[in-house]
Formats: sequence, structure tokens, C-alpha cells
Amino acid sequence: MAETNSQFPRSLEGVRESLGQQSGSNRALLLMAPLLAFELLVFVVPFFILLRISFAEESSDLVYAEGTWTLEAYSSVLTSDLLWSIVGFSFLLGVVVTVLSVLIGLFYAYAIWRSTGLVKSLLLFSVVLPLLTTLVIRTYAFNPLLAPSGTLNELLLSLGLISSPIQFVPGTVGVVVGQLYIVLPYAVLAIYSVLATMDWHVVEAARDLGASRPRSVLEVVVPQAMPGIIVAAVISFAWSVGAYAAPDLLSGNITFAMQVEGLMLSDMRYPLAAAFSVVMLLLMLASIAIMFTLLNRLGGEFELA
Amino acid sequence: MSEITLTELEKRYGETTAVEDVSVEIRDGELLCLLGPSGSGKSTTLRMIAGLETPTSGEITLAGADVTDQPAYERNTSTVFQDWALFPHKTVLENVAFGLKMRDVPKEERRERAEAMLERVQMGGYGDEDPTTLSGGQKQRVALARSLAVNPDVLLLDEPLSNLDKRLREDMQIELREIHEDLEETFVHVTHDQDEAFTLADRIGIMDQGELIQVGEPTEVYENPANRFIEGFLGDTNFVDSEVVGVTDGAIRVETELGYELVLPTDRDPDVVEGTELTLSLRPEVLSIERDPAADAVEGDEQPVLADGSTLNAVVGTIENVLYRGSTVRYSVSVNGTAMFAERTGASTDALTAGEEIRIEWDGTDVLAFRADGSRVTL
Repeated sequence: MAETNSQFPRSLEGVRESLGQQSGSNRALLLMAPLLAFELLVFVVPFFILLRISFAEESSDLVYAEGTWTLEAYSSVLTSDLLWSIVGFSFLLGVVVTVLSVLIGLFYAYAIWRSTGLVKSLLLFSVVLPLLTTLVIRTYAFNPLLAPSGTLNELLLSLGLISSPIQFVPGTVGVVVGQLYIVLPYAVLAIYSVLATMDWHVVEAARDLGASRPRSVLEVVVPQAMPGIIVAAVISFAWSVGAYAAPDLLSGNITFAMQVEGLMLSDMRYPLAAAFSVVMLLLMLASIAIMFTLLNRLGGEFELA
Repeated sequence: MSEITLTELEKRYGETTAVEDVSVEIRDGELLCLLGPSGSGKSTTLRMIAGLETPTSGEITLAGADVTDQPAYERNTSTVFQDWALFPHKTVLENVAFGLKMRDVPKEERRERAEAMLERVQMGGYGDEDPTTLSGGQKQRVALARSLAVNPDVLLLDEPLSNLDKRLREDMQIELREIHEDLEETFVHVTHDQDEAFTLADRIGIMDQGELIQVGEPTEVYENPANRFIEGFLGDTNFVDSEVVGVTDGAIRVETELGYELVLPTDRDPDVVEGTELTLSLRPEVLSIERDPAADAVEGDEQPVLADGSTLNAVVGTIENVLYRGSTVRYSVSVNGTAMFAERTGASTDALTAGEEIRIEWDGTDVLAFRADGSRVTL
């Protein structure tokens, strides 16, 4: 009995010792292993399958011809005016929604940060509230609201601000509003999470030294909130460029995700769809890299003049 | 000229009153310390002078002009915060140059002035550092340089030394004092540390529960406290409860909880009657301990009046506890069951030990007396 008792802790100690001998980076790798395995399985492997398909020939009776190698799909993507106009619209949507969501998100997060008690709880709750409904329903709800015979138009007409109804949906205004509504909570929460750790005295110090209210926000709050702003921008941008639900329900135009769906499920042209996706992925990576660089520079010395 | 006047200043947050009826004139070029325990309203008062809080009522003038409703960024005051509030994403130099930048000083000039100011607080060469990597003392210096760089009419210091360790704090106190003498600007310094206030201040304003109780020079507030709170707050003292048992011309007789009857000499009409409850304050520095087992207490009518007009009081007690504190030794003494303490310098050769019977003596004119409501009885 005494022997087993003493052996158990010894074996535990052995494990700890052997772990202790590993270098720090090795141990970190060990901790990350489950995550790495997951990423490999659901992201990296499927991506390589996609990449492989993008280099395959099309087939008349299958979705693609197995074992073939060609650059045909890429040349079709790069020379198609239709596809480039779709890319253009996707990026336009992405840029507009990102700018709006970061700006509104910053204001909203600042308001939550500065408020106290019940107001703060209500503001925070109202950010999370939309997330409790499914995305399709809350997006579709913009139809009765923004349609030519919808609530907003009726209101504007009855106030005499417009003489004939404006078609917000289906249309670009509608899809921007719908997509903004989808990404805004994430932008607000990303920025707020950084502001919440900030010391209000720093803003007071700026005002005390002669910075007006807007100037103190630009000089002190924005640069410090930059990590949150970057996260908000990346989430908004990536999601909006690749948006599917909002454009499908609210837009007259087609985005990249809708086009890929059409190519795969209606046209059964897997190589073309895959090549289009790869091109789009590269464009996204490039634009996010540019965005990071620009915003990070703003996070440093922030010259207003 | 940059004198400040506060007139009937008041700040309420809903039901709670943070600052109540504070009126004071802060002279041009003086260093005024607002001293009080936490929650006494001293920081709120300072923040109202800075413009970071709006008073509920009352008036603030700065150099003769009413600034009550002026926002912080339009007032030429500058605050050094307790946590220093340095801009973490700017370099040390950019921090110091910030106020000049807000005043549209050209880039070259503000760089030069900021560097000169860093030199002034012995932080030259740290301009390109990230302020978050500095030590507490260094941050404190940078914060001071940042505030001084804008050449403010009034420098406001909100407990900037309280986060530093004792030694550094004492060094900084002396340095602050020197900077103040150099600049001849008005400084308002908030602190809860009476030693700091005594070291720094030209005048001390003592606050308690939102009210400014007494303003005066350090010796005045210490030797002539307006009420019992100040007497207790400024250093240690023995408060002894007593009741007046007789008032004669030139003396009040009191029966104390020490079990002795004492006579308080007075040269005016002290406005007390028989039965008035008084709290006596016996500061350790007026008490002396005599190791004389044969000695008796000197009380009541036995108290001799000495040639210089002072009187001798003495009580007998037993040492319960000896606390060695380096420069001083503190003795806890039980006098007829009531606890008192007295001190001697650490250099005393005849060490007293617990259990010894001793005599505590003092001059009757050194005793201060307070009424039950805390107000001072002028003796």
C-alpha cells in the first residue's frame, strides 16, 4: 500500500519533469495541438481540395474531370467582364459597409463606455439583441420596412419629404443597410472591448492640456482603440465582401458568394467556381494586408493637421 | 497674477454631497495643500478648479476672471493625475509636447521646449522611450514635465506622489518644492498624507466630509487646530474624555477617564459650565516619561504653577507594551485601566520595559480641549 502511494506522485512528477524539460515553444505547440488539428481538418485540407479542383478541366457529365491539369478556369475568370463586375460590386459593398460600421461602431462603443448604470446595460443589451434572432429573418425584415410600399416610404411620403416612393429594396441602399445591421454588433463589441480597458483619465489629461472634445477623441481614444478598430474593420470587410444572405434578400445585384453558388449548384462548373474563389481569396488577403498597414500607421503618431 | 478664488463651491452627485460650501482664496504663487482623508472632497475640489467637474453651485475665478462654466481645455490650468495618465501610444517626448501641439506651437519649437522641460525634471534623453516602460518615479516626472510644458497659470497636483514608495516620495517632495520656488507659480496639491502637506505647503487647507474646515500655515493648523477632527488627523494624539467639575477664575477643573482630576489653566472665559463634556488632547511630544517609582501623581490643587506660567500635570501608569520604531520608542501605558501612549527618542539609555510603573508628566498649558461636537474650547 505504502509503495503504490509513493509511486503515484513520483510518476506525476516524472510527467511534470519531462514537460519542464521541453522548451517553452514546444510546450506552447503541445497546447495548441488540438486547435491546429481542427484547423487542418476543416480549413487547410478542404482548401487544398478546392485549389486542386480549380486546376481541373471541366467535364460534361461530372462536376469536374478528375486527374486533369489546366489553367483554363483561371483564364476564364480573369477575362470575364461579368465576373469582374461582380468582384467590383462585392468590394464596393465591403468598403461602404466597413467604413459605416467602423464609424458607427466607434460612436456606439464610446457611448457604452461613457454611460453608466441602466443606460449602459440597455445600450449593451441592444447590441446583443439582434444576434438573438436568426440572420435571415432580421435581414428579410428590412423588406417590409424599406420596400417602395413599406413603412419608411410611407412615412417620408406622409411627411411630404418625397413625392414618389424610393426603391431602397431591392437595391444598393437596402443591401448596405441590411449588411451593416448584420456586422454592426460585432464591430461595436470589438471596439468596446478595447475601450473598456482604457483609462478615462488619459482623455481628461488631453482635455486638461487643451484638446477640445473631438480632438481629444481623435488624439487619444482612436489611437488606443486601434486594435479594436482593426478587428471591427476586418470582420466587417471580410463578411461584407463575402456576403450572401443580405444581397440575396435585399439586392438587385449579385455578389461573389451568390455567383459561386450559382456556378456550383446550378451550372455544375466546379473548376470555374473554385478558381473564382481562389482569386477572390487572394484579393481579400491583399486588401486586408493593406488595411492592417494603414490602420496600424494611424495607431502610431496621429497627425491631424 | 494667477490667484484663485472659490466661493461657496458645492458639488452634489444625486443625493450625495461631495463638496459643500467651500470658500477659499488661493494666493498668487503660493503652494496650497488640500489635505484630508479619502472621500473628503479634496480631489473633487481640485477637479472643479481644473474644469474636469462642473460645480453644482458656487463660483470659481482664476486671475480675476470667472471660469466656473469654462471647459477644462479653455482654462490655463494643468493637472498632474494620481495615476499620471500618460498617453500610452505616444513617446515620452510626444507626451510632453502634447499641450504645445494643442496650442498650435510649430513642430520644431515644441520639440525643443519639450526636450528642455524633460531636462528640467531630469528625464533628458528619455524622449524616445515608450512611457509604459518607465518606472513609477520616471512616469511621475514625465507627467510633471507634460503639465509644466504648457506654462500653466496654476499647476494642480492630484496625489501624484501617492503611488511612489516612501523614499522616492520624499525625494520628489523636495524636488517639487524646489520647482515651485523656481517657477513662482500657483500650485494646488491634493494629498491625504500630512507629512507631505507639512513638507510642501505654504498653507494647508484641511477638508473633511466635503467641507473645508481650516486653512492656514502648517504650524498654525498643527498648533492651533480648529476642531477635534484636525487634531486627530494631523499626527497621533491621546484623546482623553473628561467632564467639567468646576470653573474658577483662570482654571477649569475636569474629572478625566484616567481617574485623575486635572486643572486646565485658562486666561479667558472659556464658555463651559459644570457638567460640560470635554475631550482633552495629549500629544506624545508634550508628554515626558519619568522613571520614578516613588513619585506620585500631581493632580487637582496640587498642580504647581511654575515660574514661566506653565503648570505641571502628572499621572502614574503601568507600561503594557514597548514598540521600538527606530528613531522613537512608543510605550503603551495603562493609567487606571485607560490606554494611553507616550514616546521617547530611540537614543534613551535607560530602557523601560513592560510592567514597569512610570509617571507621565506634561505642562497643563499644552493640553487642547474639544467639546462633544468636536469644536475647540479656547483656553
